[in-house]
Parts: sequence; structure tokens; C-alpha cells
Amino acid sequence: MNSILSIRSLTKFYGRIRALHQVSFEVPAGSVFGVLGPNGSGKTTLLGVVMDVLRANEGTYSWFGEPPSGKQRQKIGCLLETPNFYHYLSGERNLRIVAAIKGHGPEDIDRVLEMVKLSDRRHSLFSTYSLGMKQRLAIASCLLGDPSVLVFDEPTNGLDPVGIAETREMIRHLAREGKTILLASHLLDEVEKVCTHVAILQKGQLLMAGDVNEVLASEDFIELGVDPAGRDALRSALSGLPGVKQVRDHEQHIQVFFGNGVMNLTEVNRYCFEKGVTLNHLQLCKRSLESKFMELTQEKKPVGKKN
Amino acid sequence: MKVKNYRTFWILLGITAVSIPGINYMLYNLMDNSFPKNHGKSILGTPFGFPDIWQTASWNAGMLFLIPAILIITLTTNEFTYKTHRQNIIDGWSRQQFIGVKLIEILILSVFTTLILVLTALAFGYLGNKVPEGISVWSESRFVFFYFVQMLSYSLIAFVLSILIKRAGLAMGLFFIYLIAEQITVGVLRNVQHLTAVDYLPEEVTDRLIPQPYAKGIIQQTNVADWEHHIPIYLMVAAVYILAYCLLTGRYFLKNDL
Repeated sequence: MNSILSIRSLTKFYGRIRALHQVSFEVPAGSVFGVLGPNGSGKTTLLGVVMDVLRANEGTYSWFGEPPSGKQRQKIGCLLETPNFYHYLSGERNLRIVAAIKGHGPEDIDRVLEMVKLSDRRHSLFSTYSLGMKQRLAIASCLLGDPSVLVFDEPTNGLDPVGIAETREMIRHLAREGKTILLASHLLDEVEKVCTHVAILQKGQLLMAGDVNEVLASEDFIELGVDPAGRDALRSALSGLPGVKQVRDHEQHIQVFFGNGVMNLTEVNRYCFEKGVTLNHLQLCKRSLESKFMELTQEKKPVGKKN
Repeated sequence: MKVKNYRTFWILLGITAVSIPGINYMLYNLMDNSFPKNHGKSILGTPFGFPDIWQTASWNAGMLFLIPAILIITLTTNEFTYKTHRQNIIDGWSRQQFIGVKLIEILILSVFTTLILVLTALAFGYLGNKVPEGISVWSESRFVFFYFVQMLSYSLIAFVLSILIKRAGLAMGLFFIYLIAEQITVGVLRNVQHLTAVDYLPEEVTDRLIPQPYAKGIIQQTNVADWEHHIPIYLMVAAVYILAYCLLTGRYFLKNDL
């Protein structure tokens, strides 16, 4: 698959503070690529470097297989950190400036304002906008000229729940159109709903990157339930079950993790019955991105990279 | 597009445009009413007549550099305040384009104020006085070019401070303090210590291109030949400073985080 963005060994220092350390990954064309991490992990720094707002100390990156340039950024719609517009100009006049920089005329402004529901306030000064309106204007700015690549840094900041849902749906719609979307977010639940790939950062280091299903697949588990009297017998039986990587007690159930990532519920049920254990609960559970993220960031060690 | 609908810009530009003829009018009245006349002619001579009007108007206008400097500082620091300098780069400008546009804005402003000066000088020259016989209207109009160099230099000093400091109030304050500090330094080192190297400080070297015009009728200017001899050197040093300002701001903007 072609890579829209290739990042190789990016390192960035702010004085003595290391914000990024040898970060490398590829963003496939047509993907919705989530960049996740706690506050201070380097997400915004990473996006700032690839948009030429910040200078990396080491490493390189390339857009569309070519060295970085302003011409390439004209083909990218980007919302980085905060909405940045001229406070003394209206929303529409600000978009005219953006369109001019991108080499377009003003013909697309009506469409993008309609998409973010700001048509009614297009002639109001930016300084009079609420936080949510400013964020929506920034999203509209990204959509000008219908770019093939979009970069969003916390796009739902300041939006109400309706706005968050609309933004999520808009991202899905854009992804269906074949656009490549690079999305940095804290909202793991939102990321999990839309992203096809993820990269997880912590303290400037890449913990994991790859297809979101591959990142999470090995962490699926089976949840087993049995009467309290039979719990010990179940644990004993599971110790002899082939392929088991880990067994965990979790409240009323027992979670079983398999090393090869392949779980057959029928086989597990038959095995337990043959061992004299009758199950009252058997369920395949998909590991959530949030729980994976919490595990990775609290372990504080790189788990691996899957591409 | 950035300034077309920015009221502050038009107000400051208007003040800049009005202040040049304004200060000339004020000083014309002051000189005309304050000094004794001899057979209807001022003892100061005809500083507001041709050919001296070019020097007079240029020197008068040179007292007002603070106004266009405020305009430049406001426009430049706005970009940092609103972080639109980052957004312009994100949207597709190169860093060279951004800084290049800013330098062109300063060039255009300098040309604009110089044109205002030309019109002002012509108006005063024609309205108040007859053109002396045998003297061209454009004689001594080289002072207009000297004013342009001076205006460009002062504007770029304001621009450098804006790029480095990024805060309007602080940049304006430092610009004002620098103007005074250099004048004091020149005064002390030249007149007390007799150190002539101070003639080549950034502000002073362009100020020396346009000597004070009002004393010609009273005091014989024995140093005219010396001044004429130094003009090419002053222009060369000013050009070096102007180039240095451009390179400094360019390099700073190209190399650093935004």
C-alpha cells in the first residue's frame, strides 16, 4: 500500500526536554490513522514537525513520497492545536485568505461553511465566535479545496456532544471518500470507532503502531463463568488447556488469554465439560483500545510495532 | 487581503500620510512667524522653497518614523498574537514566502511615504514660493532618495524587533528606547569623547544623510564638502545594515520553531 506520510527517526528537543525520540511509522493512503497518547506524549509536536511549524533535531519525513514543501501542504487540510485566524476579520474573510494561500478561489467557501453549520455566522467577526464555532471554522478551513489528506489535532475540542457526533460522522464520510486522515486525539472511544490504524506515543516514544485490528487482536480474550463452588475446578482445568497464555480472575468471571490469538469457543466449552466443569457464562471479548492504551502507557515499555 | 478590512491599519496609514504634510505645515508656520525678516525675507532663507524644500521636507518627515514603525510592529506582532504565522505555513506558504511578503510590505510602505513626501515637497515648493531662475524644480531632490533609505532602515529596525520580541507593546517600547539610546550614545561619544565612529551606528548613519536644514541662512555650513564626501559611505553602510536586517529576520524565521 502507498504511504501518504513517511516518518523516519524523528527526534525533537525543547531545550533539554525530549519531546520526540526516534519516532518512525508510515501512514497508508486511504487510512484513518490515529495518533494516541496522554498529555505531553508528543502528538502535537509530531504533527507540528510534519506541517513545518516545528523543526526536528533529527530524522526526516516525506509527504506523497517527496521532500516537504509548501506546495504539498496546499493539498493538505490541517487543524493543529488551536484555531488560528485573524480576529478582526469575519469567518468568511478568513477562509478567503486560506483559499488564496492554497491557490483556490472563494467558490468552495459556501460548501464548507454549510458542512460545519456556520453559514449563518459567516459575516461575524472571528472574535465574536464561541469556542465551538472557532473549532468548526477551523474544520471548515481544512476542508477548503477538497484536499485528499486531512490532519486533525483534537478536532472535537470545545464541541458539544452533537458536534462531536457530527465530527465523527464527517470523518467517517471523508474516509469513505478515500481521503487519508491523520487524527490525534485523547478520546479513545472516538478513535476506536473511526480509525483503521493507530500509533501510540508516550513521552515522545512510539509504543506501538499498525492496523488497529492487529494491535488489538492478540488481546482478545474469553470470559468464562461458573458457580462459585466450581471456580477452583475451572482454574485447575484451564491450567491444562493448550494455547493458554494467561488466566485472570475478574470479579465474577475468569478471563482466559490465548497466545496464538485464535480462540474456539466450542472447543473451550467441550474441554471444560469433559473436565467436569459446567460453565454458566462463555463469551468472546474484544479488547478495547482504551484498555490496551492504559496497559501500554502504564507498563511504560515498548510492546512492539506491527505494520 | 489581510489588511483590506483592518480598520487599525487604515487609521495608522492615514495618520502616516497626513502627518508628513502636517508637520511640514506646522514647521512652516513656526519658522515664518518666529524668525525676523529682512525686506520681507526670513533670515533663515527659503527652506520651504526650491531647491531647499527637498531637504527641509525630508528632514521634517524624518521626525515621524515612530508612526509607520507602530504600523509595522502592529501588523507583524498580530501574526504572532493570533498565531496566523503558523497557520499561513500550515495552509501552504513556505517560510520564505511568509517573510518575503512581510519585507515587501515594508518596501511598499516606504515607497508610499516617499511619494507622500514628494507631493508635499512639490506643494510647498510651488505654493509658497517662486521657483528661482536657473534652478530646476528637481534640483536637490536626491534628499527624497535619502529619506527613502532612512525610512526603510527605521522600518526594518522595527520589523526586526517585532520578529524577535513578538509582543506589540514591548516591541514599540524597545523601538522607542533604542531611538533615544542611540541618540544619547552618539551625543556623548561624538561630542564629549570625539569618537566619530558613532556616525556609522544604524540610526545615525541614515540620519547623517539629511542634515538639519534651517540654519543655512544664518550659519555658513563649512562642513558641506565633508558631508558630500561621506554620502557614498553613509549609503553603503546603510545598505549593509538593511541587508543585515533582512538576512537576520529571514534566517531567524526560517530556522526556528514557529
